[in-house]
Amino acid sequence: MNDQIQQIAEIEWEIPKGFVPGMRVPGRFFLSNRLATGLEEGALTQLANVATLPGILRCSLGMPDIHWGYGFPIGGVAAFNEETGVISPGGVGFDINCGVRMITTPLTLGDIPDRKELIEDLFVAVPTGVGSKSPVRLSQNDLSSMLTDGAANAVEIGYGMKSDVRRCEENGAMPGAELEFVSTKARQRGIPQCGTLGSGNHFLEVQVIDEIADPATAETFGVAKGQICVMIHCGSRGLGHQVCTDHLKILEEATKKYATDLPDRQLACAPLHSPEGEAYFGAMAASANYAWANRQIITHLVRELFSKKFGIGYEEMPLVYDVAHNVAKWEEHDADGSRRRVCVHRKGATRAFGRGQREIVQEFRDAGQPVIMPGSMGTDSYLLAGTAGAMERTFGSTCHGAGRMQSRYSAKRRLTGETVANDLARRGITVRAPSSAAIAEEAPDVYKPSCEVVQVVCDAGISRIVARIRPIGVIKG
Amino acid sequence: MTFEELEHTADVRMRITAPTLPTLFAESGFALAETLYGGYRRETPVAAFSINAEGKDWEETIVNFLSELLLLIETEYLVPGSFDLVAEGGVIRGIVSGVLFDRTKHSGGIGVKGISYSGLSLEKITNGYELTIIFDI
Repeated sequence: MNDQIQQIAEIEWEIPKGFVPGMRVPGRFFLSNRLATGLEEGALTQLANVATLPGILRCSLGMPDIHWGYGFPIGGVAAFNEETGVISPGGVGFDINCGVRMITTPLTLGDIPDRKELIEDLFVAVPTGVGSKSPVRLSQNDLSSMLTDGAANAVEIGYGMKSDVRRCEENGAMPGAELEFVSTKARQRGIPQCGTLGSGNHFLEVQVIDEIADPATAETFGVAKGQICVMIHCGSRGLGHQVCTDHLKILEEATKKYATDLPDRQLACAPLHSPEGEAYFGAMAASANYAWANRQIITHLVRELFSKKFGIGYEEMPLVYDVAHNVAKWEEHDADGSRRRVCVHRKGATRAFGRGQREIVQEFRDAGQPVIMPGSMGTDSYLLAGTAGAMERTFGSTCHGAGRMQSRYSAKRRLTGETVANDLARRGITVRAPSSAAIAEEAPDVYKPSCEVVQVVCDAGISRIVARIRPIGVIKG
Repeated sequence: MTFEELEHTADVRMRITAPTLPTLFAESGFALAETLYGGYRRETPVAAFSINAEGKDWEETIVNFLSELLLLIETEYLVPGSFDLVAEGGVIRGIVSGVLFDRTKHSGGIGVKGISYSGLSLEKITNGYELTIIFDI
């Protein structure tokens, strides 16, 4: 670890002001000593760079899955003062509202005699990988409705149940979507890709609930030991990517216009209530809504297959919850001695609101918000709950996954897809992807151990474990 | 092949060299296609599209050029096989030709979300130009 970094508690570290010139607040991140040994200097610098942005409140935060990203580190969280703060696509990422959801089923392992066949059927049912095409024919007007109404629109056109919508963060649609700021190019990329999984670290995983850590909350969330469930991880596809590309150009100019002194052009930004800042927010919110619709459509495809294959009803496969990983949102938090409206950027981080927050759906409000924390193909995922500690320490945020620690390039040189797939098969996990390389690049050991990352967020008091979930079959994009 | 992949934890980082700017742009296009289609063969083109980009400097132009190419790839299902380009005064213009995406031949790669300014450098070297660029995946 860099000599200037101060370990202020067993799992908490501080980057002091002055680490890079112009820091307005310190940086702070959560890591165990073991995980800290793998932290890249580039991620530290990015966390410090975020601390130079105008209007940043309290500190620039890093979750334990922190690694080198674009602008902000992945695992980065920052909140900005409404009057003096900025909004930056570098604090959201190219894949706007990349997120994860989990649905449960009434099945147990004994109900799935042939896992390989199930995974193969899912691979056919859900468009996956580069070049995959949408199962939905969308007109421009249809797309407009989707960009405004998000998950509810997908349900309205036949993909899902009304009860799904309220189980999504923001009820599956962010307010403030402004379609005029979504370009024709973004629309062109979005229309053919809605309802597709994508590639890279996006996945669809069939899992079994292996251990319940908090029986009361598990019951509230509707999960039980031995239950088969499905996790879906993807985002706003080409539409969101294009929105990021388009608005980065605009915000580069805005950075000069508003004379914002930046240490890194990837942090291009504009004041929150400037025309450029509001345009980006409007387009980003529309992209986030598209992402919720995307995951909703995939959910329907999964339910359709499970229903046909196992004779179960859609209503027996409820959505536990859907969380966003890459987003900037208006929220109320305590900061600088008062309760105030702030813009929270989460870049590879998850909202983790504690008990009693009015944003949490009524039936979960006394338990805390469900947080879905995916592992890697070979390591466990977790269902967590948000805490009061997260509200106090991290603007209601926690980790979003295990966090990558090795490059795809080194994984491909070191491993073949066949080796990884065979190893996983020996552990009872079936994996399917469009190519062998896709499996090698996403080998479990290129990620931090998910159990260690979860331990850190629990030790930090920003989440608590509800259930541990074991993968039995994975589709990688 | 005049491009090579370098280490990067989360994304794909490429170093590309070429004797001229038009060939540098073409090779950067092939590097993008290789990332998307992993080990694909360049086949006799059956489709062609015009492609133009400009910027305040060549670095910005190449980011805009690759962003335009990515748009063509995603919306026209184009798999690039050849480029015919002219570079002048910060502007690149020309034709990209290729075949249409075929899942049985072009599924060896990974989706690219965008072209990053992170770690971007374009330098004049003894025998031409060298570009280092990150594709956000």
